[in-house]
Amino acid sequence: MPRYGIAIDTTKCIGCHACKVACQNHNGLEYDQKFNTIYQVDRGKYPSFSKEFVPAQCNHCENAPCERVCPTGAIYTSPEGVVLVHRNRCVGCKYCIEACPYKVRLIDHHEGISVKCWFCIDLVRQGGEPACVTTCPTQVRIFGDLDDPDSRVSRFIAENRAQPLRPDLGTKPKIFYKRS
Amino acid sequence: MNRHGMTRRKFLVASAAGGAALAASPYLGFDAWAASEKASGEVKVTPTLCDACGNWCALRVYTKGDRVWKAEGIPIAGNNLGRVCAKGHAMLHEVYNPDRIKSPLKRVGPNKFEPISWQQAYKEIGAKLGQIKEKHGAESIFWLQYPEGNADVTFRFMNALGSPNVFSHGATCFLPRNIGWWLTVGNSKPEHDFANSRFILLIGRNLAAGLNLRKLQDVVKGRESGAKVVVVDPRFSESASIAKQWIRIRPGTDLALMLAVAHVMIDESLYQKEFVEKYTEGFEEFAEEVRKFPPSWAEEKTTVPKETIVTLAREMAKAAPRAVIHRGYHAAAGTQYKNSLQLVRAIACVNGLLGNYNQLGGLYPAPKVKLGKPDPNQYPAPPPVKGPMVDGSGDPERYPLTPKGVGISHAIPELAIQGKLKAGFVHHNNPLRTCPNPARVIEGYKKLDLLVSFDYVLSETATLAHYILPESYYLERDDVVHANHAYSSQQVAIRQQVVKPLYDTKPLVQILIELAQHLGIGQYFTFTLEDWNRAALKPLGVSLEQLKKEGVIDLGGQWQPGEPHFDTPSGKLEFVSSTLKDLELPAVPTWEEPLVSPDPKDPHSFRLIHGKQAHHTHARTANQPYLMKITTDQDWGRAWIHPDRAKKLEIKDGDCMTLTSSVGSGRMRARVTDGIHPDCIFLPSGYGIFSRNLTYAKKKGQGGFGYGVSYNDFLPTMFDPVLGHAMANEVIVKVTKTYT
Repeated sequence: MPRYGIAIDTTKCIGCHACKVACQNHNGLEYDQKFNTIYQVDRGKYPSFSKEFVPAQCNHCENAPCERVCPTGAIYTSPEGVVLVHRNRCVGCKYCIEACPYKVRLIDHHEGISVKCWFCIDLVRQGGEPACVTTCPTQVRIFGDLDDPDSRVSRFIAENRAQPLRPDLGTKPKIFYKRS
Repeated sequence: MNRHGMTRRKFLVASAAGGAALAASPYLGFDAWAASEKASGEVKVTPTLCDACGNWCALRVYTKGDRVWKAEGIPIAGNNLGRVCAKGHAMLHEVYNPDRIKSPLKRVGPNKFEPISWQQAYKEIGAKLGQIKEKHGAESIFWLQYPEGNADVTFRFMNALGSPNVFSHGATCFLPRNIGWWLTVGNSKPEHDFANSRFILLIGRNLAAGLNLRKLQDVVKGRESGAKVVVVDPRFSESASIAKQWIRIRPGTDLALMLAVAHVMIDESLYQKEFVEKYTEGFEEFAEEVRKFPPSWAEEKTTVPKETIVTLAREMAKAAPRAVIHRGYHAAAGTQYKNSLQLVRAIACVNGLLGNYNQLGGLYPAPKVKLGKPDPNQYPAPPPVKGPMVDGSGDPERYPLTPKGVGISHAIPELAIQGKLKAGFVHHNNPLRTCPNPARVIEGYKKLDLLVSFDYVLSETATLAHYILPESYYLERDDVVHANHAYSSQQVAIRQQVVKPLYDTKPLVQILIELAQHLGIGQYFTFTLEDWNRAALKPLGVSLEQLKKEGVIDLGGQWQPGEPHFDTPSGKLEFVSSTLKDLELPAVPTWEEPLVSPDPKDPHSFRLIHGKQAHHTHARTANQPYLMKITTDQDWGRAWIHPDRAKKLEIKDGDCMTLTSSVGSGRMRARVTDGIHPDCIFLPSGYGIFSRNLTYAKKKGQGGFGYGVSYNDFLPTMFDPVLGHAMANEVIVKVTKTYT
């Protein structure tokens, strides 16, 4: 069984938000609900001024704080390592939203349950890739099997020593960043 | 929320059921919905062409039942290579925009409209236009469009009416770029082989926000194989964030930089001598001219250190001929400055020094597809109308270089005020928002005796129209076969119907065919759209059915590097333009001051510059909640100001500022950033829509009507003396902090 993850190369990100809207459409989200977001970081003074766009979404942590705090056991990890929410068990208590250090969870307007990025597992299981990956004009994201050392994603992470966001938290995310 | 019998809940079901293999999977909410509710219809995939901007990316649009769901790119399509931007995704929702026009409308008072039948509309327009034509002549009629696939049919329509006045948005967008390149290399839009370049200079172009998905991918490919990407821009653009180096330049002085780069290349003998000798004309004269512009001179003009200029020239020359300077677009090389034409000429000439034309990693003429035309024996075509346009375009005495069919669109209100234009058709264009000085534009358009719009919402311009003949949204219609955007090979593509029209709307070609019968020009419109498209495809050996099945068909003819050819009078790359010489205009690129400059002694005085954001197109997308939500989330409607200048005006990040120019005033919040030249204020374009009939985004609390301002609000009506373009960055604004 593969263990899915994403490598993100922020040096290529232009902040166009194609990923955000592709995700909204694929997952049928309304305009004000999103599974991924883009942070903008400005650094330095001219002539060394620089700007970095950092896309962020659920990190599908190995050691997921959201999973630990869920009082109804609705959050669990799939065999592919994707952190998912069981709709019938979620009571919308928002503990997971508080617990997530990456702030990538939200309450669905209509159902009142906690939702987030699910690596478009519906597409992935049919041999595809998540919508945010395939739409990106500069191919910022590489999706694949972290357990296969020859996969593009594993090689990219190794070559660039890509790091997850806030590794110090011990959450062991499955999204790795090459930062500028 | 639920206008079309589809709740969001059902839509989610639809989305989840798209992954049929998952139907029984118990993981996430989506699956459970799919299991617990009956899906609303089959998933269908229809290839078509996006209409969110002018790139016309090839899409595969997914529908579920009769509802549009999502889109993917078509990988072989030369213009997007399978990728789709935020606009492409979000504008799918626009088909369900509650602001849409639902039937032909007649304006019966200020902002008062009455639904009428197509027949009544045609009849009344026919009668009115007949009177105008009789009284003022056919030359008093104009057509304004965003010229795309259907343009051939609109030219036919105007030829049939006997008017030469077909305008595009060109004079507020790209005009000097096209003319400068055409003068220098005989091709107004040479393409770039960025993927194989070793040095890429983007000057006057921000590919990452004025999005071109193909070229952006090519730049990234080039970068990955070792190309150095350098961005010259007054602000740290989105392209700069993926570049190796950002050169911050004083706005309006890109020409000085290019001249100094040429100076260094020639002075240090770094140019491609064999290419220059064999394929260019007038090198000596050019060398003589640029000798006057050393880097030390350019430093004063541009504020770019002379060492930076020298390094730029040397590095570029070292990578030549696999070094390329982007041909430019709407920015400095577009219609922004009085010196834009000179700048484009200079860019083309420095590319000449790099010897990159028709070379690997350089510039190349894009392979063209020759589409067929309806057989004139079966479908008689009207004779083309001779003579210049009413604005002087194509007139040897006035704007000899401005092509007919492009014209000077922001002259229309002036000509209407002068009584030279009496009736107009506006298609896929919104001059009230996209032309400078809106008060004057409104005054002009109000003077027209007849204004017909084909808009799908009551945009600013449509709100002034006497009649609106609503075109079906792009997902609801077929268009004319398209072959313009393949770049490196020959491709043909088609926009086709994805869902049935929701309202009483029609494709433009259909409207024109029907309207023609009421204007006495029906003999030229005996074809159907299908006849037209079959005729277009005939020489290509591609059937309409096959094209509709695949969306895009590649016909081969991949560009290969080779001997350069130039369609100029001399057959060479012209450092000295023989055409400009004949017209007694500066024939060698030389320095020309910008028309206006901010007062260095006045802390309130700034040049106002503008540019696109990747999630907005012109004035068309600011009413789309998915896109406006990006703006409001990121607070990207703010104007950029340099910290040193802001401090003097006591403006802090997020404070409200008032900008005042000679024609207008407006308020916006400040984004204080080091990513901008101290001389200017940067205003993102796309906002400031003022039609009260665009309420969709506003109702969602996401801006739309009333959100932000447009640079046009501050811009006086100006015409460049040579080409007539708008000179949209030649405006000085006074900036003050707003205390409220």
